[in-house]
Amino acid sequence: MIKKILSTCMLGAGLLMAAAPVWAHHAFAAEFDANKAVKLRGTVTKMEWINPHAWIHIAVKDDSGKTTEWMVECGSPNTLLRKGLTKNSVTAGMEILVDGYQSKDGSNRANGRDVTFTDGKKLFLGTSFTGASGEEK
Amino acid sequence: MQSLRILMSLAVPVALAIPAIAQSNAVAAKSAPAAKSTAAKTTPAKGYVAPRTPDGQPDLQGIWDTASITPLERPKELGTKAFYTDDEIKQYGKKRMNDLDRDRRDGSATQDLARAYNDGWFDRGTHLGRNKRTSRIIDPADGRFPAFTPEAQKKYDEFHKWFAANPGNSAEDRELFDRCLFFSQSGPPLVPGNYNNLYQIIQTPGFVTIYSEMAHQTRTVPITKREKLPKDVAQWMGDSVGHWEGETLVIESSNIRFNDHSHFGTQYDGMTDENLRVTERFTRTAPDMITYQATVVDPTVYTKPWTLELPMEKSTGPIFEYACHEGNYGLSGILSGERAREKEAAMKAK
Repeated sequence: MIKKILSTCMLGAGLLMAAAPVWAHHAFAAEFDANKAVKLRGTVTKMEWINPHAWIHIAVKDDSGKTTEWMVECGSPNTLLRKGLTKNSVTAGMEILVDGYQSKDGSNRANGRDVTFTDGKKLFLGTSFTGASGEEK
Repeated sequence: MQSLRILMSLAVPVALAIPAIAQSNAVAAKSAPAAKSTAAKTTPAKGYVAPRTPDGQPDLQGIWDTASITPLERPKELGTKAFYTDDEIKQYGKKRMNDLDRDRRDGSATQDLARAYNDGWFDRGTHLGRNKRTSRIIDPADGRFPAFTPEAQKKYDEFHKWFAANPGNSAEDRELFDRCLFFSQSGPPLVPGNYNNLYQIIQTPGFVTIYSEMAHQTRTVPITKREKLPKDVAQWMGDSVGHWEGETLVIESSNIRFNDHSHFGTQYDGMTDENLRVTERFTRTAPDMITYQATVVDPTVYTKPWTLELPMEKSTGPIFEYACHEGNYGLSGILSGERAREKEAAMKAK
């Protein structure tokens, strides 16, 4: 379950311009809406391992039983692969939780701030410090 | 502005013809002054001599990894301290990884939003650079970029003010990397980014090719004494010529195309103009390492030259495909987002 509460709705636009990182064909503030925080629980329909960034497609059912398709953006396939993900890591039928931000144009696309399985385990594991020299590589 | 863009687009077919020009030595133009390195000269470890290619050059070939968590600029509190001790590396490395961790949810809402792209997006290394440097910038002595000239600072401020108010009028107003046109990893100078920091170096008689995993940008550098291209022929990766100084491959570049968005990439929001000159030095300092240094001189933008150093560590690879345009929803998302914002503003104004 997602327990964390986002408080980003309180932020002003000026603050966002200062905070949002600008890099790699993504300017967060230009593409996604920090005032549209979304929490989605859905079933994976497919994961697209495409360049320059992978996308997870999920079917989200609302309280009335209506299903909506959403796309959630991920890192580049190169990066995901080097972090140990394979095409078998996220497959159709898996249930996932997305805590993120909707696109500014109002389409059902989201930036996944946190993407987890229902047991709370992250899909994309972070990394830990490995020393100075890189000799272990 | 539009006429400038048209002029720039005319440079493309000329750029494509450059290898032929290079080989024929047909260009008669004044040589650009080389950037003078103010950094310490790099020498291989005592007793180490790089293997040789069949035609006798020091062998730099292979796949090399520049990813590390060493910051581009030195933290101000370190002053002129250029190197870490082994103990400091352990302490600082952990702190640095924690600072960079984008899966954290502590801190203010602003900080949280700045980490909106989670750690799964990043592949910038898990260790500090093998050279034990406290920053990738090694000159000036404080490890930080020198100040802009007053004129450059004014231009920089004006542009950023305009861009903040106009983040998506058209695709052409976006950053070069938004448009998959150019990434800083390919240089000159090589500036590692958030991921895809592998390079492959290939040597053939008379040429060295530097292939960057990020967007598959390739520089094929002739090892020759040919004249530089005419001043009005500019390319995103410039006009590079190389020569050997003992064990070191030296590449000098000028004719580097620029616009408001050409600024050394995602890690450093600097500026460039027509006077940019870059001198790169590749020295194989160990069997599994090339020490790379690049000195940047641009007297109309920077008040001093600056030099960065990267340990390029031998990697087994492989280099993966990164087809930046393939399924890139980023640019269309930015533009449609801006149109939605405009519509909303117009509705409110009614």
